[in-house]
Amino acid sequence: MSNDLSNQPDDLTAPERAQIDASTSGAVLLFFGSAAFWLVFGSLLEVVGSIQLVFPGFLDGLSFLTYGRVVQAATTVLAYGFATPAAIGIAIWLTARLCKVPLRHHRMLISAGIVWNLGILVGACSIIAGNSTSFPLLALPAFATPILFVSYALIAIWVLFTFNERKSGALFVSAWFVFTAILAFPWLFGTANALLVWNPVAAPAQTPIALWFASGFMNLWLVPVGVAAAFYIIPKSTGFPIASNNLSLLGFWTLLLFGAWTGGAQIIGGPVPAWITSAGVAASVMLLVPALAIGVNLHLTFQGHYAPVAWSPALRFVVVGIGSLVTYWVLSAINSLPLVNSMTQFSDTNRALYQLGHFGFFAMTAFGAIYYIVPRLTGKEWPCAPFISLHFWLAATGFGLVVSGLLLGGLIQGAALNQTIVTFRSSMEFAWPFRFQAMLGSVLILGSAVSFALHFIGILLDTRKNQAPAMLAEREEKSQEPVAV
Amino acid sequence: MNKLPSLFTGIFLIFGSAWLGLVNYPLKNLGNLQPVPDEATGGVLPPTVSGLAVAGQKVYAANGCVECHSQQVRFSPLTTDIDKELGKRQTVARDYLREKTALPGTLRVGQDLSNYGARAGEDINAIHRHLYEPRSVNPWSNMPSYCFLYHVVKIQGQPSNEAVIGLTGPRAPKPGYEVVPTEKAKALAAYLLSLNQSYPLPESPVATAK
Repeated sequence: MSNDLSNQPDDLTAPERAQIDASTSGAVLLFFGSAAFWLVFGSLLEVVGSIQLVFPGFLDGLSFLTYGRVVQAATTVLAYGFATPAAIGIAIWLTARLCKVPLRHHRMLISAGIVWNLGILVGACSIIAGNSTSFPLLALPAFATPILFVSYALIAIWVLFTFNERKSGALFVSAWFVFTAILAFPWLFGTANALLVWNPVAAPAQTPIALWFASGFMNLWLVPVGVAAAFYIIPKSTGFPIASNNLSLLGFWTLLLFGAWTGGAQIIGGPVPAWITSAGVAASVMLLVPALAIGVNLHLTFQGHYAPVAWSPALRFVVVGIGSLVTYWVLSAINSLPLVNSMTQFSDTNRALYQLGHFGFFAMTAFGAIYYIVPRLTGKEWPCAPFISLHFWLAATGFGLVVSGLLLGGLIQGAALNQTIVTFRSSMEFAWPFRFQAMLGSVLILGSAVSFALHFIGILLDTRKNQAPAMLAEREEKSQEPVAV
Repeated sequence: MNKLPSLFTGIFLIFGSAWLGLVNYPLKNLGNLQPVPDEATGGVLPPTVSGLAVAGQKVYAANGCVECHSQQVRFSPLTTDIDKELGKRQTVARDYLREKTALPGTLRVGQDLSNYGARAGEDINAIHRHLYEPRSVNPWSNMPSYCFLYHVVKIQGQPSNEAVIGLTGPRAPKPGYEVVPTEKAKALAAYLLSLNQSYPLPESPVATAK
């Protein structure tokens, strides 16, 4: 089947590209802009929650700022206010570029974007006000999700319509990933909301469905979009084609095959049929195959020329993102082994892995994609390269503090929780310094979110034209690598 | 070259298989679980819970208690949950028949609550004291205060028989005032008391001797 797959993103001429980008500009900027706004808001809630975990007296006793509500609002806002709109923006832009047709009906997408943000606003306020369902990643109450559905239907119809209109020629692998993600999201979100939130099924059946959704949201929605962006941006920025079509196909189909089955590994020994947990463990381990296929393929695509990572903002974020994805899958595989899991199952290690996947992989890759895409939509370069550098270092350091803290703290906390002779109080005291470290990390992440959002406003307001692209370092004079096209 | 239909079919089949296994199978099997008859009392297991406790689960969900508290006892000997006396037996799917929403939880920032009712006994005042000001019960606790589920009112004549007694700490009422639980607080306390898996189930009998 590899004949149907191209290893070059596209062969468009510069005017064609400019025409396509101009047509997607309004809708994509709306999705990216709202993502930046909700990122700041969600990170702020995350900071409040992580301070409360360390200093429980912080803003204590206020109904709308109680720990449980703040954390669920933060998770929901970051997943549906930031990650999903960023993914939609990337998907729309990639679809138009890869199908080589300018966007039509852009008003439909802009209305969809406005409706989506309305839904998030209603949803976030209602969680804070005490209407959460408390399902993981499905905390939005029954009256907020239909709003998101109306919006998503408009987007998905447009994407499928564009795929239908595409210019002939072999599809690039990113198109496959985007197409999958666009189909997976409504399937996951629709099933889970229908069966758990709108018309809840009997409680014993709810747990496997909730786990299926949470793993699918990551592995079949955020991962395909992030990987599609990486597969597009790396060849474009380095000038080399994707190293191997066969590895692309292997990564694609094994991700699909195993990605949806990993949920059971979250609940080993829990109230679900044993075969569901076994399937979950097997699938989590088998995800090492797409981890290797995607990781090795992208590594080979660089052909050893990693120098552009030093100066290209997009490449730097994307490389960190893909590195985090591979790490996330490797650690998830280890964590799913029953002997390890019996210790780590209810510890902060879970939170570390969640952050590694959702922030370390998806958010970082999405930042890279946004740094790549936005100058092409506005016709202006990022006004201030040091700001990108600041964003990168704050995000990377903050995220490193959060993940390393929760991972190590979680191991110690989990060991304490699992020892018969250690009291519960000790498990909390062991975890405290690590949660303190994670709290510092979340403050840095908030800083990175603010610097990103300000810079985003900056590029929209900037009136200068035709300045040089923002580089994070001097390009080497002798370098063969082309500037991003 | 129009390969979208075959791509679509492939995606559909792969998604469909996971959907059948992880959504449809639980729906058809776990979704039809029924309580088993209890020979000792003539009732059913798991026992039905009061309407107040059902209402209490909404309060539990609304305040995100699941972010810190799990509600599942894992089996021995893979885990030490039973040795740590979180429960006498493994939690199974049928145990969730008492609930409208299954909230097994993913973290133990706080204690597992599967058998909180069995540990707490019948002392509802102690539960209210804990919810109102956790650190007056355990000074090391990092649980938030749910004082917003309570009213602080001036004592008019006789003190209310519902008032929470024995409160200490900064949120304790001033002399002449008392702390009265709202309907939500009463429902939440009833729900917490209903969390009790001491009964045996055929698929998860209580181990008698160790």
